[in-house]
Amino acid sequence: MEQATAQGNLPQASKPAVYRTSIAARLRRDKWLYLLLLPGLLYFLIFKYVPMWGVLLAFQNYQPFTGFWKSEWVGFEHFRLFFENPEFYMLLRNTLLLSFYNLIFFFPAPIILALLLNEVRLAFFKRTIQTMIYVPHFISMVIVASLTYVFLTTEGGTVNELLFQYTGNKIQFLSDPSWFRPMIILQTIWKECGWGTIIFLAALAAVDVEQYEAATIDGANRWRQIWHVTLPAIRSTIVILLILRMGSVLDNGFEQIYLMLNPLNRTVGEVFDTYVYAMGITQGAFSYSTAVGLFKSIVGVTLVLGTNWLAKKFGESGLY
Amino acid sequence: MKKKKKQAKRVSTFLILSTVCAAALAGCSSGSGGSEGASGDSSAAPSAIASAEAEKPLKLNIMLPIFKTNYPKDDSPVAAELEKLTNTDIHFEWVPNASYGDKFNITLASGNLPKIIYVPDSKGPSFVSAVKSGAFWDLTDKLKNYPNLSQASEVILNNSSINGKTYGIYRGRELGRNGVYYRQDWLEKVGLQQPKTIDDFYNMLKAFKEKDPDGNGKDDTYGLVMVKWTAGWGAGFDQIKLWFGAPNVWGEKDGKLVPEFEYDEYFEALKFMKKLYDEKLVNQDFAVMDSAKWTDPLVNGQAGAIIDVVDGAARADDKIHAALKDAGKDDSREQYVDVFGAVTGPDGQIHTLPTSGFAGLLAIPKSSVKSEEEVDRILKFLDQLNEPDLQTLTSFGLEGKHYKKIDDKTLERSSDSVLLESEVEGLNQMVPYIPEGKGLQVAQTPLRLKQTEVQLKNRDTIVANPAEPFISEVYAQKGQQLGNIINDARIKFIVGQIDEKGWRDAIELWKKSGGDDYVKEINELYAASKS
Amino acid sequence: MAKQYRTAAGATFDVANYIVLTLFGLAAVLPFVYVIAGSFASDAELTQRAVFFIPKTFTLAAYEFIFSTGTIVKSIGVSIYVTVIGTLVNLFFTVTMAYSLAKRGLYGRNLVLNLVIFSMLFGGGMIPTYLVVKELHLLDSLWALMLPGAISAFNLIIVKNFFQEIPKEIEEAGRIDGCSELGLLWRIVMPLSMPVLATFTLFYAVGHWNDFFAALLYINDPEKWPLQVMLRQIVLLSQAAAGDLNSMDPNFVKPPDQSIKMAVIVVGTIPILCVYPFLQKHFAKGVLLGSVKG
Repeated sequence: MEQATAQGNLPQASKPAVYRTSIAARLRRDKWLYLLLLPGLLYFLIFKYVPMWGVLLAFQNYQPFTGFWKSEWVGFEHFRLFFENPEFYMLLRNTLLLSFYNLIFFFPAPIILALLLNEVRLAFFKRTIQTMIYVPHFISMVIVASLTYVFLTTEGGTVNELLFQYTGNKIQFLSDPSWFRPMIILQTIWKECGWGTIIFLAALAAVDVEQYEAATIDGANRWRQIWHVTLPAIRSTIVILLILRMGSVLDNGFEQIYLMLNPLNRTVGEVFDTYVYAMGITQGAFSYSTAVGLFKSIVGVTLVLGTNWLAKKFGESGLY
Repeated sequence: MKKKKKQAKRVSTFLILSTVCAAALAGCSSGSGGSEGASGDSSAAPSAIASAEAEKPLKLNIMLPIFKTNYPKDDSPVAAELEKLTNTDIHFEWVPNASYGDKFNITLASGNLPKIIYVPDSKGPSFVSAVKSGAFWDLTDKLKNYPNLSQASEVILNNSSINGKTYGIYRGRELGRNGVYYRQDWLEKVGLQQPKTIDDFYNMLKAFKEKDPDGNGKDDTYGLVMVKWTAGWGAGFDQIKLWFGAPNVWGEKDGKLVPEFEYDEYFEALKFMKKLYDEKLVNQDFAVMDSAKWTDPLVNGQAGAIIDVVDGAARADDKIHAALKDAGKDDSREQYVDVFGAVTGPDGQIHTLPTSGFAGLLAIPKSSVKSEEEVDRILKFLDQLNEPDLQTLTSFGLEGKHYKKIDDKTLERSSDSVLLESEVEGLNQMVPYIPEGKGLQVAQTPLRLKQTEVQLKNRDTIVANPAEPFISEVYAQKGQQLGNIINDARIKFIVGQIDEKGWRDAIELWKKSGGDDYVKEINELYAASKS
Repeated sequence: MAKQYRTAAGATFDVANYIVLTLFGLAAVLPFVYVIAGSFASDAELTQRAVFFIPKTFTLAAYEFIFSTGTIVKSIGVSIYVTVIGTLVNLFFTVTMAYSLAKRGLYGRNLVLNLVIFSMLFGGGMIPTYLVVKELHLLDSLWALMLPGAISAFNLIIVKNFFQEIPKEIEEAGRIDGCSELGLLWRIVMPLSMPVLATFTLFYAVGHWNDFFAALLYINDPEKWPLQVMLRQIVLLSQAAAGDLNSMDPNFVKPPDQSIKMAVIVVGTIPILCVYPFLQKHFAKGVLLGSVKG
């Protein structure tokens, strides 16, 4: 933290004296800021921290009617069950691989799309495309899965009919395990990529046009402008999103995977989220799913703090 | 670094503080839960008075699922008529069906239970645990006092029980609901009769593929449509395996329960499925097919048969009529689809897959219903709902407004579906249909009459699952995983990804992954239930 | 501004760029066009044709069905109310907190930030949160749909970061002009942050519009159900579930027609799609520049 506050571009750097004034004086000086902070702080305390005793359910056999006080305490039993599951490593591998693919292929997609949009000078065209690409975000996953089936099935699916005409072969997109991850990633890109551009476009809107003009005068071509002006402008947004994304590295979007899962691709498709859901059906497993959630959170915290630390090493401002 | 440490300490101090606060607040909440229990007392008081002076209507609130976007309001005419006939004052707590499970759990946790609550899953752990901690009235010995409820089916009572005891009135459903429907016009075209044996069934599917049943001169049809079920792809195969003589989930051998896949008959059925798949008599994408599109191939003239529920036949038939009308084609046939229950197996017998016979329970919580007298009045109410006139009222509404009576048995519903949805549909969610449905019915087409007939006939040949009432701990923990092992292996066998050895290996894996414990536990429960 | 691009390479890039974006745009929007077309088609046509963009038989039956009762219209009203008021609540809570957290000198700032981040990763879950809402007597109140999600920690952090990037000189100038903290926030920081605020208005509004779970948990009175509860009901009601409803009288309840499902998706999507164009102008470039100069 000290490292960050020592950086030159920070507001207090011009007034190093701040750090030496007494706490009381600082509180008094910033009283308006504290007033502004108060509603948000109260919100977090009431709606996020008061219910947080819920994490203790992970160590119980919690049953809703029996209630928190009377439910049986079981210690680390649920964690043991989870880790000793013979499928644990399969689940971990599938979850991490999918997250990794998401990070490599999906995460950059909205950035690239935003950069492409940013290069469009025809305002009308830009607006039209922007509006078009964010439509899929609103289509429910059930419908997306249903459409995927219509397009990809080997029995008269549009894509396979075309493939068959030109190559004489059909591809088992829906049941071949090697197609599972590409299919999920493509679905995600189709559904969320356009929506994801919004935040980057907002960051780009803040770029000073004079910077482009200056770059042009310096003889920078299109690519160099993107590299030297546009990208740096959204770099901190990218870094923040990346750090925050690390917190949910073990979340894969339950509904999507659940809908695309079948017995033939289960070996690559089953992830923590679908597994916990399946356990929930037979167990009503509040405690079990809380335990798994807790495990995911701990991994998330570690990764977030780790990435944040790395980001700062590389001179980014990070979360703090 | 130093600062960081300090900060961490601050965070932890805060955490401890907030946990303490939270604990305090949680304490408060359970405290106020108690006080609400007390206020529940006051609402119980009127019923005590009610028993003294019988005129006072029974105040009821009922939590039920709703399947449409419209729902009958408390004061709608049908509800008012119902209240008059049963001397009650009912408040409905409608919950969208899609999320009933979550709402049910939350309601249990909040302690604010209605007087009658619909329990979607009678084996669900939250319900079982609530029952074990005494949250619901035990109705086992009470049912005999009521004319209709006393006629409840022993089989279904057993299926819906927890350790043999009844904690809710089951909502009766047809036991013999499973069956097969097919394109009758196709069957006539290829010159065959309704299948009687497994071979007949196979020949029908083969003819549907090879003999150009749609008469367009192209090889573009197949026999059977199967779909990916969210719960597996069971439905179809589960019926086929029974035709072959395999048991329903568990079979009894020498007084012991044995899982179904240990039977040779089961493997025979699996080989039969593989043959259908290899000869392309079943859709090749059956492992992934969208269940929302199940009847589409039948309607579009691509496939000829579906193994599902008997009452699907009429729905498919309606769709075919609609599609022909829409396309402006000849729609002169009265009926395109026909239906049967099951075919004779190698042993010369017919075996039919039953349903559990009920769809959820109506339970009475102790926290909202305090006295035996009130339980009695509620049971009287639920009993009365089974009377023919009340079944008609809750299913079809009021004569003249929501339906027209045709004769003693049949009626014609109003075509105003909005009116029906906002005043009638949903009310029969609280009807137990014990011993059976006996109100008026809509005028039946020949196909619908046949459906009813097939369902009745099915009841005589059903094969029950002997382990149905048991609540297994092992299954609760590992059931999903165990189920996946078998489910995945049989599909892989059918599509040829594994051979017989692979299938046997999967069974071994099942045993090692907890299957052996499961078998042991089920047998202990079975032995206990016998003694 | 555009003159610097008149090079051959630039032109090639432009053409390629327009083509790529057009293709992407079409890929994004065509399935939705199918849904719209399907909502005007007959159910029979939907069974027979895999994908189409113009229905052969045009019918309004699905929409007539949806709007023939007050229920859906009423739920649209609830949704709009919750979306508008809820978004204002979100913005108030988020902006005030983000602004104070953007000040690096604030004593206790890192503690609060840690709290926020921690709450993103650990949560009490459904039942404990429900009990809090219950204790606050918010059950069956539309506030239960707005307050428990008043701040998204994710959004808060990003807004905070945007605020941090506002050049300090501008604020200093404001301070010299005698602005209080509130004045600075209202007169300088917020106008400078319009693109960001537009973005998060959109994020929050869409979140409220799409939310159904809170309503299912906290609202018992069907009169107060928002639109999404209704939509889910129709879209998710599968053939199997509908069949099980009433095997006692099988022809009684049938699953909703495919065309109704599609119409319902259109009704649930179009209103929120209309919000975007209003906010879009704030994404335009040069807003910041203008404020600095002016």
